[in-house]
Amino acid sequence: MPNWTRLVQERLARVKLPAGVKEEVVAELAAHLEEAYEDARWRGFAEEAAAQVALQEVEDWRVLAAEISRARAEEDGMNNRTKSLWLPGMVNLIAAPGLLMILQKLGVQPRVVWIGNMAMVFYFPWLITLPIFGALGAWLAKRAQGSTWYRLAAGLAPALAMLGMFVLVLPLSIALGTSHRSGFPWVYFALTMLVWVGLPAGALMVGALPFLNSGRVVVKG
Amino acid sequence: MTRRIRSKIARGSGELAILALLEEQPLYGFEIAKQIGERTGGALTFTLASLYPLLYEMEKRGWVEGHWQANDAGRDRRYYRLTASGRKQLAPLRQEWRAFFQALDSLAGVSHA
Repeated sequence: MPNWTRLVQERLARVKLPAGVKEEVVAELAAHLEEAYEDARWRGFAEEAAAQVALQEVEDWRVLAAEISRARAEEDGMNNRTKSLWLPGMVNLIAAPGLLMILQKLGVQPRVVWIGNMAMVFYFPWLITLPIFGALGAWLAKRAQGSTWYRLAAGLAPALAMLGMFVLVLPLSIALGTSHRSGFPWVYFALTMLVWVGLPAGALMVGALPFLNSGRVVVKG
Repeated sequence: MTRRIRSKIARGSGELAILALLEEQPLYGFEIAKQIGERTGGALTFTLASLYPLLYEMEKRGWVEGHWQANDAGRDRRYYRLTASGRKQLAPLRQEWRAFFQALDSLAGVSHA
């Protein structure tokens, strides 16, 4: 039996769709060809003839590629990205800091670690929960057929947002810091980044990892 | 008859056939094509090339919704089910086609009744 997935991949190589959507289209069309082949075999065709019967399902792959691009691209260009990246990322971005705020309201005290004269604040109960949020973001992105990069970004959204804030704040801090006698506190800045970006990113990644493979989500029922 | 008109008729009849079929139960692509062929005695046929662009268009319009599910043989297939919006389309589409056949009948006597 021909490798239908590879055949469809090759013939739709020029279709420009988001990775997750293209993967889904290839899987669906390959499954159709496989069934057409098996149906022909069941009707008594020899292997080669059955493969030819299946291949007759598509007269011109270029036309099909163009029609599929048109049919899926308009929706998926914007909407798919929204569904598979922005929404899962936003959910994660609201949920993870939301929990931190709740913990603070509940009076959960942070662990303050002194490094020299620099105080580093750790919310360990929050850090422990972050793998759940990483998993949530990546799972939602995967469920919406998002690519591996979308799943990663959605899973790490809170850490990426913090990184963005640091990047924005950095020039301002340097400008203010250089006017100070002691100059800009690079070590303090780096340690703060480690606590608020590096550690959360690592914890989120632990949760997101199982959802980064390229397998599809199968919805039962 | 121009190619464009033929194409529109084929597309319209295809949409109605798919919606009517999915009204009964969710089906995946190959099953849709097979059932349409069988139940129309081969008068309406869908190939992979004609079916999926239409299904994807209908999905984009929100008339049908695809989801992966294992079939009876345990293989993952993308099943399509009718959405509420698709269900709403059925009645007016049926009415349009009824009117179309009545008009054609009065003009060319195509009815077998």
